[in-house]
Amino acid sequence: MNKTPLFDTHRDLGATIGDFGGWSMPLWYKTGQLKEHIATREACGIFDICHMGEFIVTGKDTLAFWNRLLSNAITAMVDGQAMYNFMLNEEGGVVDDCILYRFNADYWMLVVNAGTQDGDYAWLKKHQSGDVKIENIGPATGKLDLQGPTAPKVVAKLAGKEKLADLKFFRFIPEIVIGGVKCLLSRTGYTGEVGFEIYCPIDETKKLWDALMTAGAEFGITPAGLGARDTLRLEAGLPLHGHEIGPTLPAVGTPWEFAINYDHEFIGKSALLANKGKHFVYPVIVEGRRKPGSHAHAIVGGKECGEVTSDILAVSLDKKPAGFIRTTCELKSGDALTLKNAQGAEFAAKVMDNPLWKGTSRKKMDSFL
Amino acid sequence: MANYIVPNDLRYTKTHEWAKDLGGNKFRVGITDYAAKHIGDVTYVELPHIDDELDKDEPGCVIETVKSSEDVYNSIGGTVVLENGDILNENPEIINSDPYGEGWLYEIKAKSADDFKALMSRAEYEKLLEELGD
Repeated sequence: MNKTPLFDTHRDLGATIGDFGGWSMPLWYKTGQLKEHIATREACGIFDICHMGEFIVTGKDTLAFWNRLLSNAITAMVDGQAMYNFMLNEEGGVVDDCILYRFNADYWMLVVNAGTQDGDYAWLKKHQSGDVKIENIGPATGKLDLQGPTAPKVVAKLAGKEKLADLKFFRFIPEIVIGGVKCLLSRTGYTGEVGFEIYCPIDETKKLWDALMTAGAEFGITPAGLGARDTLRLEAGLPLHGHEIGPTLPAVGTPWEFAINYDHEFIGKSALLANKGKHFVYPVIVEGRRKPGSHAHAIVGGKECGEVTSDILAVSLDKKPAGFIRTTCELKSGDALTLKNAQGAEFAAKVMDNPLWKGTSRKKMDSFL
Repeated sequence: MANYIVPNDLRYTKTHEWAKDLGGNKFRVGITDYAAKHIGDVTYVELPHIDDELDKDEPGCVIETVKSSEDVYNSIGGTVVLENGDILNENPEIINSDPYGEGWLYEIKAKSADDFKALMSRAEYEKLLEELGD
């Protein structure tokens, strides 16, 4: 099992450790998942995300390479912009969902999920052609996510307010010194709140963590584990690879269609077009206090038409059971359905608008400083 | 190895429940500190009803956590005589912070004392935790 440089730090903080994508990661700390979730919504959560993968791709044919491999409107990107993308296979399934960073026309970074990174690297190498160089910097790269309304104050205290003031959603600063550590600061995240994904040299991760924890003490910084990350992303309406999206699930009919731009030719495009109107993903809220369980069947009008892909709590919505379903029938917000689990228990549920929770992620940065 | 509280005056199951002898063939049950730390924050408990007859090893109640639903197995066959709904309905997360105290689940009048005797001692349960290596 892989460990991040912060493994001992998590243990010292009383973390319960679990396996995630081949990594031993903190699921929650002594504080507990609910408090970590709420702290991120109301103040600031700090997450060790060193397990995710990063690739630097350079060369004059890189833009063409991305346009072939990725789904979103990459040609329109500007220097200093990040963009959410699907990397699809020929069947329109999601090899991985990823964030692409454009430094300049010939220098890019792709950030991918932990459990899929080896397969992603093989996929990139398989399709490499022309002047495209691919370097796996994952093992050399640390990553901390700082998320929540006081996150900008924490970074501003260490790096200066003026550097952050103009940083918009899905933009990044390629080089900034935070607590004496040279970092890449990206205004992105997986929680729905304003905040950052911060990349640094792997052996300086602990130094960065300590600097942020010290600076953040007055702003309610709280170490948060993968448990809170999951409930936060669910409410923020974001998918988890292997659940809502995956290699065998055509990426159509989902709330993440915005990441697909049909004006360019990319691997999987024709399969997506062929599957339009056949697959759908929706967020749901379940009545009562019990969760139906992952893979519970979705039944609409007496007919089975799909299954639950994520089954957790909407902590910020009165701790209601909530999740995503994949269906083969089209539904709309407000539609009633029944979820039936493997034990035969039935649960009333309702299709919701995505996202369940509208956080601070898109608000103007200066309102937080 | 992480430290888990394992009180001396209780007996334990392989599935991380505890039982306490209250005398008169009555037993109080709950989940162990190890279980409480591993299931995550408890958000709701579906308790058995008073007078329910529960067999040994059938699910006695369900604990909902943020992430999952966990069956709690009844380790002593008998009749439920008390349940802790007064505390747990208001404050289910007390199971995480005080699993042997206020976070108890229910009390059962046993058909026979043999079920209790067959449970693990503290030393045996600690050995199991060691084998789990965590």
